[in-house]
Order: sequence, then structure tokens, then C-alpha cells
Amino acid sequence: MQQRNKKTASPSLSLGNFASTIGENLLNDAKISTRDVNVSYGDKQAIYDASLDIGRNQVIALIGPSGCGKSTFLRCLNRMNDTIGICKVSGKLMLDGEDIYAKKMDPVLLRARVGMVFQKPNPFPKSIYDNVAYGPRIHGLARSNAEVDEIVITSLEKAGLFEEVKDRLNAPGTSLSGGQQQRLCIARTIAVSPEVILMDEPASALDPIATAIIEELIDELRQNYTIVIVTHSMQQAARVSQRTAYFHMGRIVEVGDTNRIFTNPRHEMTENYITGKFG
Amino acid sequence: MQVTSLFLMIVGLGLLAFFLSFQRSARYNGPTRLRSLPHHYASLTAVWTVFPALLLMIVWSIIEPSYLQQKIEASLTTEIADQSSDAIGLYLNRVHLAIASGTVDADPVVQSLVVAYEKAALQSRYLNTAMVLVLCLGGITLGLSKILFKVHARVGIERLLKAFLILCSGVAIVTTIGIVLSVLFESIRFFNAVSVFDFMFGTSWSPQTSIRSDQVGSSGSFGAVPLFLGTLLISLIAMVIAVPVGLMTAIYLSEYATGKFRTIAKPTLEVLAGIPTVVYGFFAALTIAPFIRNVGESIGLSVASESALAAGIVMGVMIIPFVSSLSDDVIRAVPQSMRDGSLALGATRSETIKKVIIPAALPGIVGSVLLAASRAIGETMIVVMAAGLAANLTVNPLEAVTTVTVQIVTLLTGDQEFDSPKTLAAFALGLMLFVTTLLLNVIALHVVRRYREQYE
Repeated sequence: MQQRNKKTASPSLSLGNFASTIGENLLNDAKISTRDVNVSYGDKQAIYDASLDIGRNQVIALIGPSGCGKSTFLRCLNRMNDTIGICKVSGKLMLDGEDIYAKKMDPVLLRARVGMVFQKPNPFPKSIYDNVAYGPRIHGLARSNAEVDEIVITSLEKAGLFEEVKDRLNAPGTSLSGGQQQRLCIARTIAVSPEVILMDEPASALDPIATAIIEELIDELRQNYTIVIVTHSMQQAARVSQRTAYFHMGRIVEVGDTNRIFTNPRHEMTENYITGKFG
Repeated sequence: MQVTSLFLMIVGLGLLAFFLSFQRSARYNGPTRLRSLPHHYASLTAVWTVFPALLLMIVWSIIEPSYLQQKIEASLTTEIADQSSDAIGLYLNRVHLAIASGTVDADPVVQSLVVAYEKAALQSRYLNTAMVLVLCLGGITLGLSKILFKVHARVGIERLLKAFLILCSGVAIVTTIGIVLSVLFESIRFFNAVSVFDFMFGTSWSPQTSIRSDQVGSSGSFGAVPLFLGTLLISLIAMVIAVPVGLMTAIYLSEYATGKFRTIAKPTLEVLAGIPTVVYGFFAALTIAPFIRNVGESIGLSVASESALAAGIVMGVMIIPFVSSLSDDVIRAVPQSMRDGSLALGATRSETIKKVIIPAALPGIVGSVLLAASRAIGETMIVVMAAGLAANLTVNPLEAVTTVTVQIVTLLTGDQEFDSPKTLAAFALGLMLFVTTLLLNVIALHVVRRYREQYE
């Protein structure tokens, strides 16, 4: 299974043949596994035949040029694409053996299990405390205010933000700096105890120092969560992830251990991308 | 030349100047490149041609009547000129009458004056035309001379545009100030007759004043409390209807409705705001009010045939689109990232709306509600027709009440003497109303401005 290369019929493409994913795209005991996923927005197909397994308690980076479908793929994993009316998803997506797109799967509960952090920090216009307490409150995770307090504090601690904000938990979340806001959003996501955290270019709007803090945080979070991160920065992918998947024009071109991908890419296009020849 | 044809001539010369100057600067082939584009130079030439001439024409038409008056007075024979000013005025009136009607007056003095007047008028017209022509041609010459290319036309045009825009906004401001001042002065006259305290806190409104001192009921009472209470009551009923319905509509339109439905539903809703209020008025008076009375009587309540409730309900329906349309815009202005953030935490759509979208949009929603409220307070027609004229001091919505605006209408309808407190009271009421709605608008604007800064 480890080395299975997928063969699919596909229309000929101008940029060489990458119809089949090469590398180690499938795993034993995956947290999330996807098979033959096709996604289209109306007439425009965004993802072709994507099959990728996401391992437990590790970070997988999705890299590739803009418009290659990595964010779309990410948003399929917690059905955020449902909010876009014209988006159609087919294929199999399984979270711990449960079909993500099954009729009986409640997207609301799914999103509590598969949290998401966005490219631009998007704290609610509420206090720092209320931002973090929002999820636990709507899911009824706490029976008393003391329990909410505890969840808020531990979540902020896990996100490495508590020390910076402990004296002003009632200040608006929007008053924080960009990097702090992003960590607040991560704390907010952690507060509902998800199993998987999806991150869509979480550091692309931040300066290098805030980025370094976020990357450190991602590495720590790996102990308890499965993390999927979309990034435009190859250095970032190399620093934080254990596995890397290279997307190009809606297809997964190559998947493998991050070290292997960056030192010994097998596909010409992967090599071109990571060496900066295009992208 | 008549003013109209003179004006057309100026415009025509302006176009000609624009065209010629455009050609010239487009073909310009000097040692250095021009600093501005041909249309800048052309516009500047046209402005030079048109603006001074137009200004002269306006000034001239303002001072022309007094100039002609002077001419006639100068031509009066001494025996008439020595008479009293009243007699001269009489002559002048006859002269104007004769000119206006085109008939020949029997009096030879008047006849000669008419001749003198017409001669002076003709002279003034020739003079005017000549001066306008000179200014126009002067402008063209200047625009077609070498001086034009020494001017930085682009900057000049920008400055002119800015001045024009300032002028336009000035018109609105000056008008507002004028209205406020006129209302203020009349109110001060009113407050000379009736004390401010009686007006603001008096609970009896019966604006009857006698013409002669021996008449009965000579002392009117001008306590505005019942009017403001009536206004408040009706506006409150209207808001109770409009705010929930409008807000729910806005939430549906912005968060749930498909784009197609929205593009049809929103303009349809806004038609409600476009129906003339007088139509709402007879709807209220002829349909809603009797309905309320019948229902009330069937359950043993005594309901006046004109009630605050009827007026309030219909007014509420009328201002629904104010709330829904503005709130819809505000809710849609909440960034999609807020919705995504909430949904990604596993919140349902309604939780997202209730806990994230509405709080984020709240300042804007408050703004729309206040705007609707000031509309309700200023509304007149529906209340005149459906709520009655009786100034009852009551908070019972089933009784007839009256509002500030309705009283202003009744005080000023028909022939009025403008020195009695009865008439002047309208201005005082108007001032109070103006201050109230102004305050509401200021609060609304302030709230809306705060909202704008929210996501920056």
C-alpha cells in the first residue's frame, strides 16, 4: 500500500504527464483518508482525482503554486465548501473511517472535530475571553463559568498567548497585533478540542517574528492534534511538516516525507517548484 | 437680446472656444511637451470664455431693475418730482402696469414715462449684450493666445472643479442654516408671548387665541406635552412593528435568501417606502382604524374611531423597508471571514447570526433603527388621517391622539395672521421637532461612523 501509485485516465495536459500521484500518498492507519476526490465550482474543475492520506499527530504541508487547488482541498476536509453553493465534491473522504460527506454526517459536529485557522486572522469583534469561550459555549462543553474559565485559560496557554494577554482578557480581540490575533484564532480553535486542525496559510499575513512563533506553536500542537497546513513558503513547509504534498493545477503531483521531497524530489515539476524554477 | 438667447450665445461661444482650443493644443508642436492634455487646455479656454460673461449676465439681471427705476425717476418733470414720494410711487406703478399690459395710458405723463422706460430698457439690453460679447471674445482670444500654454491647465481645471464642488455643497449648507434661522426667529417671537416653561411642560394644548380682547376663550394654552407624548406613542407603536419585522427580513435577505430571490425581493420591499404617505393615510383611516374598532368592540373595549394604534401600525409598515434595507446592507458588510470563523468552530448558521453577525453589525443596525425613528417622528399625513386631532394626554393606544407635525399642519392651514401666538406656535413646534430629529440623526451618524472603524 505504501508505494501505490494511482493510475487514472485523464485528459492530456500541456505541462507534462502528472496524471498519477507519485510518492507515498497513502498510509496505514490514517487520520483522514481521501480517494479520487474531484471538486468543481460550476463548470470549472478545481481538483482532479486527489487521493491522499493524512497521518495521525503529524503535520502535513500542502504546497504548490497559487490556484493549484490546495486551499480547496483543505476546505473539503471540514466541509467549509458547503457554504459555496456551486461547489460540488465527489469521491471518498474519511475521518477515522467515517464518511465526511455521508448524509448522516452533521457538518456542524464535523467542524467541531476538524477545526480551521484562516489565512487572515479573523477574531470576532468580541473580547479576547469571549473569542475563546465562543466555541465551548455553543457546544455546551462547560457546565459552569469556572469550567469556561479553565477552558479559556488552557486554550490560551496552549496557543502560547496567555502570558501576553492574561491582564486584559476583556480587551477586544481586534486590539491585538496580527500575530497575536492569529494565535487567538488558534486558541479559539483548540478550545473546542478538535482532532484535526486545518491551517490555510496561517502565517502569510504575519511578519517573520510572528511567523516563527506560529511555526513553533504548530510543532508543539503536533503532540495532540493532526495538522494540515497550506503554505506558500517552502521554508515553512520544510520547517514544520513531516510530510509534504505538492499540488499542481488541481492534481496532487507528489507526496512524501518532507525531507525526501525537499532533498530528492522524484517528479520533475516538484523539483522545478521547490528549486524556484517556477511557481 | 433676451436673456435666454444671450445665454445660448454664451454657451455656443463656449463650445466654439473649447473646440478651437482643443484643435490647437492637439496640434501643438512646440520645443517642449505640453504639461497638460488638450482637453485640459480646451476646458480652461471654455471656462475663460463662459465664466466672466455668465457672471456679468447674472450681476446685470440683478441690478437692471433698480437701474431702470433710476432712469425713469430722472426723467420725471420737476412738478411731478417735487410731489410726495407716495404720488411718485403711484405714477411708477401706473408706468409698470402700462408696460406689463401693453395698453396705452390716458395720462400723457405716464405715456412719456413709458417711452422713457422702454428706451432705457433697450439701451440696457444693448449694453449688456455688448459687454457679454466683449468678455466672451476676450476669453477666446486669451485662450487662443500664447498665454494659454504658460498656464498649468490641469492644475487650473482641478482647482476650478474643487471650487465648483464647494459651491454646490455650500448651497445645501446655506439653505439649512437659513431654514433653521427663520424657524428660530419665529420661535423667539412665540416665546416672547408664551413662556418656554409653559410650552415645554404644559399639559394642555388648545391653541385658540382671540382676535379682539372681549371675545370668549381669549387665552389659548400652549402646553406641548400632549403633542410630544402623542408623537412618542405613535412612533413607539410604529417601531415595535417595524424593527422586528424589518430586522428579521434583513437577516433572511442577507444570510439565507438566494441571490436571485434577493434581487427581486429587496426592490419590491423598497416599493413600500415609495408609496405616498397619503395613500397609507387613507388605508389607515378607512381600513385599519375601523377594523381595530370592530375587533375592540367585539371583545368589549371602547376604541375611538381614530386611534393611535391604527396610525402606528400603518406607519410601522411604512418604515419596514428603512430598517430592512439598511440593516441588510450592514449585515452584508460584515466580512465573510467572520462567518467562516464561526462556522469553522462548528457553530450553526443561526448561532453564527445570533452571536457573531448581529453583534458585529449592531451599531449599523442601531443606526438604521434611529433613521427609521426620525422618519416616524416626522411623519404627518398618516397621523392626520388616522389618529385624529384631539390633543389628549394619554398613553392608551386605543384613544385618539395628535402629534407635533399634525398640529403644525392645522395651525398653518388656511388664512393666518402671522403675529398671533397661535400661528407662531407652529414654528416653536417645528423647532422642537427639528432639534429632536437632528439629535437622533447625529446619534445615528455617530453610531454608523463607529461601525465603519470596526474592521480597519
